[in-house]
Amino acid sequence: MSKIKNWYKTIYHRLFHLDDRLLLIVAGSIAGICSGLAAVALRLSLESVLEWLHPLRHYWWAFVLPAVGALLSSFYLEKIAREGAGHGVPEVIYSVSRYGGLLRFRSSYSRLISSFLTIGSGGSAGPEAPVVMSGSAIGSNLAKFLGLNDRQRITLVGCGTAGAIASIFNAPIAGLVFSIEVLLGEWKFVNIIPIAIAAVAGAQVSQAIIPEQVLFIHQPFDIMFADIPASLGLAIMTALISVVFTKTLRKVGKFSQKNSLPLWVRAIIGGSTVGLIGISMPLVLGEGYHFIQSMISDTFSLGIFLTFVAIFAKIFATAMTLGWGGSGGIFAPCLVIGSLTGIAFHKTLFFFLPSVGCASQGAYALLGMTGIISGVMQAPLTGIFLIVEITGGYEAILPLILVSSISSTMSQYLEPASFYFKELMERGQFMRPGTDARILSDLSLKELIDINYVKVSENMVFRDFINIIKRSEQNFFPVIEDETQVYKGVIQINAIRKYALDPDMYDMVFLNQIMDTEVITVSLEEDLLDVIDRMDLHNMDNIPVVENERFIGMIAKTKILDLYRRELIMQTDIK
Amino acid sequence: MNYKLLHIFRNTPFGRETFLQSLYFCKTINAYPVVYIPKSDKFLLYFSNDAVQVDLDYSYLNMPETAREHSEQLLEEMGFKPRYYEPKNYTASTLPDISTNFDYLCSPRSVSDLSSKIGLGHIGPRVRRIIKHATFPVLITSPVFKPWKSITVFFGGSENAMNALTLGLKIAMSSGLPLNIYTLLEKKEEQDYRELIKNNNLESLVNQYSQQWYFYNKSEFENMLYEVSHDSLIVLGAYGHGVIKEILLGSKMERIQSTLNNNLLITGPLCRISLQ
Repeated sequence: MSKIKNWYKTIYHRLFHLDDRLLLIVAGSIAGICSGLAAVALRLSLESVLEWLHPLRHYWWAFVLPAVGALLSSFYLEKIAREGAGHGVPEVIYSVSRYGGLLRFRSSYSRLISSFLTIGSGGSAGPEAPVVMSGSAIGSNLAKFLGLNDRQRITLVGCGTAGAIASIFNAPIAGLVFSIEVLLGEWKFVNIIPIAIAAVAGAQVSQAIIPEQVLFIHQPFDIMFADIPASLGLAIMTALISVVFTKTLRKVGKFSQKNSLPLWVRAIIGGSTVGLIGISMPLVLGEGYHFIQSMISDTFSLGIFLTFVAIFAKIFATAMTLGWGGSGGIFAPCLVIGSLTGIAFHKTLFFFLPSVGCASQGAYALLGMTGIISGVMQAPLTGIFLIVEITGGYEAILPLILVSSISSTMSQYLEPASFYFKELMERGQFMRPGTDARILSDLSLKELIDINYVKVSENMVFRDFINIIKRSEQNFFPVIEDETQVYKGVIQINAIRKYALDPDMYDMVFLNQIMDTEVITVSLEEDLLDVIDRMDLHNMDNIPVVENERFIGMIAKTKILDLYRRELIMQTDIK
Repeated sequence: MNYKLLHIFRNTPFGRETFLQSLYFCKTINAYPVVYIPKSDKFLLYFSNDAVQVDLDYSYLNMPETAREHSEQLLEEMGFKPRYYEPKNYTASTLPDISTNFDYLCSPRSVSDLSSKIGLGHIGPRVRRIIKHATFPVLITSPVFKPWKSITVFFGGSENAMNALTLGLKIAMSSGLPLNIYTLLEKKEEQDYRELIKNNNLESLVNQYSQQWYFYNKSEFENMLYEVSHDSLIVLGAYGHGVIKEILLGSKMERIQSTLNNNLLITGPLCRISLQ
């Protein structure tokens, strides 16, 4: 037994510990395959249930179906899986930026089930965020199983995400780009290779299981000169729609959270509203891939006015689904809203300029998708590469880049944070690698405290204190109560010069008479960022740390700077 | 000492008993309690290599309007200044992150078992995961408030057991209570255990603070448990063996905690106890 153990250890060490890239590639591929399987499972089960429920949608009572789905979904998430709700992607970003990508195992399956119930019953949401959550959790738990460190775990979280997105859209580059652009926020060589391999693994799993089912098939289209200025107009339109979508999602969600209705009542209200909208506008129901396909292949038949109505109906339905108790993501709704926006723009263009020579309606639907993804997620590269991979070529690359860059820039100007980042930013928890907040959050107060301070008694006579000063290099002396050791204040050498220069005072003054009791203190529980803010506010270079009324030590700005630099070097590999 | 213990408060008579036990623990070892009154039925503990979600039963959310008042009353009765823990970070809106920056944690216990098994039965996978990943000892209180008058260390010779012994000595030093050591002779002889203590520079402290060191033969495990004083704080190390051994042979910790209803203080494999 021990021989086998030693043999295993030697092999493991030789293969992986000398260079962790190989380990990350192998583990990343496993994460990519598992998340790809999760994505395929959700996609197939959604297709089956939507098909199974399709005949029922003709009945008058069909509007209750999304309500039942939302009810079951919220019940499952709250009572069975006991997940704190949320869309998933912000939770992954939070975990990556704050806890080295640690995610709970239950997250690898809980959102798949809850989003299946929501979307399968007709709720307006996408399956991408749940599969991202699931893939990330698979990567994180695989890293935990292998005993990897934070950096390696974050890479595996990225691998899981990339595998999931690549599998659902059969688009490995989009998976890679989404993972790095949205989730990890840093383009590092050590990350890119395992994530790219995981993305390919995820896409291959999808192709192997459902080879005949390409998500979106499109007709070849020609981009003409007139499409370039037209794309500028479309970019502006998608930016505006993106901002409306983001704001509606947040406002509807906040309104739901503020009211005191039980979660199950909210789920019923949200689901029924979506069901009612779906009676007259069925394209708001479900993830909407079927309607996207009809828009791309130029078979979409709604007029200008109804297309505009459909855009806002889809926005409202998505907000009601996700804000009122349903589960799912915004990726697929972005694609539907984007396609509708592209078509609305194309129809409007032809209404005013009927003889203009430009690409087909389907091409504009794809450009619209890029614009909305870039605007809502503020992830321009994801938008570009997703459409490039769906269309299978670069013929539309110029308008794609134009729409994507203008839409993301303009929407960022109007709404500085993307939908995924907004909540984290408001909570002060959006910390990208290499940023101040991230570096400081990785430093703990405990490693900054200098505990080697001589404490002095409040009843000490000044002459004795002078003798202590002679032997010490301290500039600050914490003063404590004799019996209880309770912290009373601080004596700063600079502040007692007048007593030190007057030997007559040596036996007349006690330390409790000259100590500074107004000095601001901090406790170990506080965040380093708050501590620095407080030091800046009170113009302090050193601050005492006091816990349970006991002096623990001092924190100096010079020490913070030293450790900040060390951490920055570690996080960015800059030497 | 300036150690702090996190207690998750439950505003029920059963919760009062465990809270009193935590307060007594703090009072005896000169630590201070920090109380968390949960506002949702779950929270997350982020350790270095795991995120453990603790799902509380609904009794933890009982009568929120009186929870603070009741806890304050008990804290003041025991002479503690009330200190409350308020989560700063949230993984999701109803899922607060609870700091793991404490010296001790009083483990929340489910009362979903049959009432006859309160305090006994298996401690469940969540508590096991907390113990496995925590860098601090975990206090599992007895179901009814019972002041302990001595300290008992189960010492099996492993690295974790050595940690437990160090912790036992530390508590004996700060509380002035007598320490007893119990060892089950499995593969080693009595002399080997004494040698082990010597090699870890604990011999003089053990001689100074321990009242008795009892040795039992392998077959006398149940007998050993019976002879442990009913009003003693039991300190033991958990997860001394690998996973396979634990599955095949069972966990000693589980056997002890399901047999004795004393207060238990458990050190996991990541606990590093220093005598300073």
